[in-house]
Amino acid sequence: MNILKLFYRNLTQGPSTVAFPFGPAWTPPKLRGRIRFDLPACTGCRACEQVCAPGAIRFDKTPEGLRFMMWHNSCVFCGLCNFYCPTDAIVQSDDWHLAHPTARMYEMAIRELIPYTACSACGTKTLASAPNPVGVEPPFSAEEIEQFRHLCPGCRKKALEERTPNHAPTE
Amino acid sequence: MSNFTIPVGPLHVALEEPMYFRLDVQGETIAHVDIHAGHVHRGIEYLVTKRNVFQNVVLTERVCSLCSNSHPQAYAMAIERIAGIVVPPRAQYLRAVADEVKRVASHLFNVAILAHLVGFDALFMHVMEVRERMQDVKESVFGNRMDIGANAIGGVRYDIDAQGIGYLNQQLDAIDAEVVEIIDLYRTNGSILGRTRGIGVLPHADAVDCGVVGPVARAAGIDYDLRVKAPYTAYDRLDVTVHTLPDGDVWSRAMIRLYEARTAIGLIRQCLRDLPDGPTIDSRERPSIPAGEAIARCEAPRGELIYYVRMGDSPKPERVKWRVPSFMNWDALRIMLKEAKIADIAIIVNSIDPCISCTER
Repeated sequence: MNILKLFYRNLTQGPSTVAFPFGPAWTPPKLRGRIRFDLPACTGCRACEQVCAPGAIRFDKTPEGLRFMMWHNSCVFCGLCNFYCPTDAIVQSDDWHLAHPTARMYEMAIRELIPYTACSACGTKTLASAPNPVGVEPPFSAEEIEQFRHLCPGCRKKALEERTPNHAPTE
Repeated sequence: MSNFTIPVGPLHVALEEPMYFRLDVQGETIAHVDIHAGHVHRGIEYLVTKRNVFQNVVLTERVCSLCSNSHPQAYAMAIERIAGIVVPPRAQYLRAVADEVKRVASHLFNVAILAHLVGFDALFMHVMEVRERMQDVKESVFGNRMDIGANAIGGVRYDIDAQGIGYLNQQLDAIDAEVVEIIDLYRTNGSILGRTRGIGVLPHADAVDCGVVGPVARAAGIDYDLRVKAPYTAYDRLDVTVHTLPDGDVWSRAMIRLYEARTAIGLIRQCLRDLPDGPTIDSRERPSIPAGEAIARCEAPRGELIYYVRMGDSPKPERVKWRVPSFMNWDALRIMLKEAKIADIAIIVNSIDPCISCTER
């Protein structure tokens, strides 16, 4: 190909760049961007914390419950938390607009709390987290998730055994 | 004619990577080369032993941006060997797709930089524009332009549906047509030929002595490609063409990269055509990794990449060591730079596609 032919083609086709920030920038739907956290779906299994390479995700036990914290400025957008999350409580959105003034750096975080509750069956203090769906057949219904949320680990195990008498629960 | 000792690098306008060369020159000609390394050492081999097996998939991906798929892939293959995990067939094909997508982008990048160093910036912009299509592919299919995050222990983290295959094929057709034109340009353009033919020659015998790998070896007539010699993932089921050229000069290395970019496009097409159904990962549950050690190799864009992993009783590896292709290739720079002109230093250094961030990690 002659380079002059290339010049002619570029001249007729116009620029390949986009006008961002004065125009919209193309974003593919699968882009791995800002983390979103869905508290009701979290089982508190802490898999995301264990696979997070930069340590952007942290769980802390507080008197009120299990605190989830995620720092956007430490996140490297690898998506491992999303991949290993059993309930899609933590997902990556296609939002990449994370530029912010330094003064707002402490707002660039997700802070949520899985509160303690009393077990509806035995009254023990327990975390009101979603039940772990791994190995549960048939999958939990929305009502069952709410019912299991208010059970302690021991009562959850019992309820699971009653639910699937033929299958040993695999935790 | 007077003798001088001049420094080139580690921060130098013409060098793309932080290497430091101490050159003894006689007039315009290089008489002796000293290569000093270590400017971007970040201690990643140590950091790897401070993180668990799964975190390291992410950390090894960030050793280097251009071979950012090869590192986690070789690491995952080593871990899978220790744990006896079998990667499902679909994941093997998807790993090959990710590998080849990165190869196309990496090779086009290096060839574009060559045009820039020659002073042919119009061509540089054009090749980068073509590469930008591959960047769009990475962003659309994997979700990131460089760290595509394709690998996980036991398989891959992404999947392609029919719509994705259609999109990929359409992009590949467009890139392939452009690469054909680019190959023609690099083969015939006077500016390119004048600055690259017969420059930085690495004779076959020296290439064997230095143990060079990847496109540098193949441009010196060494028929060595790990995808054929020791196939991994799906390469034993794919038809891989190995390109070689006899001259071992800068131009040959650029042409090998361009030919390989086309071959890589062909390989992605083969993978998409033969893509088997089934799971993309051994298990969504994080597997437990027993104690043991393993070696895994893969063909990174720059050549053979070797990973050694030793696991103890802890979830963190006891030792991870990798031998990167640039480590083998930069030794050959002594031979390539001998008797070269000062003006050709940047072109010759770029021709081995040096990846200093891999080499010094």
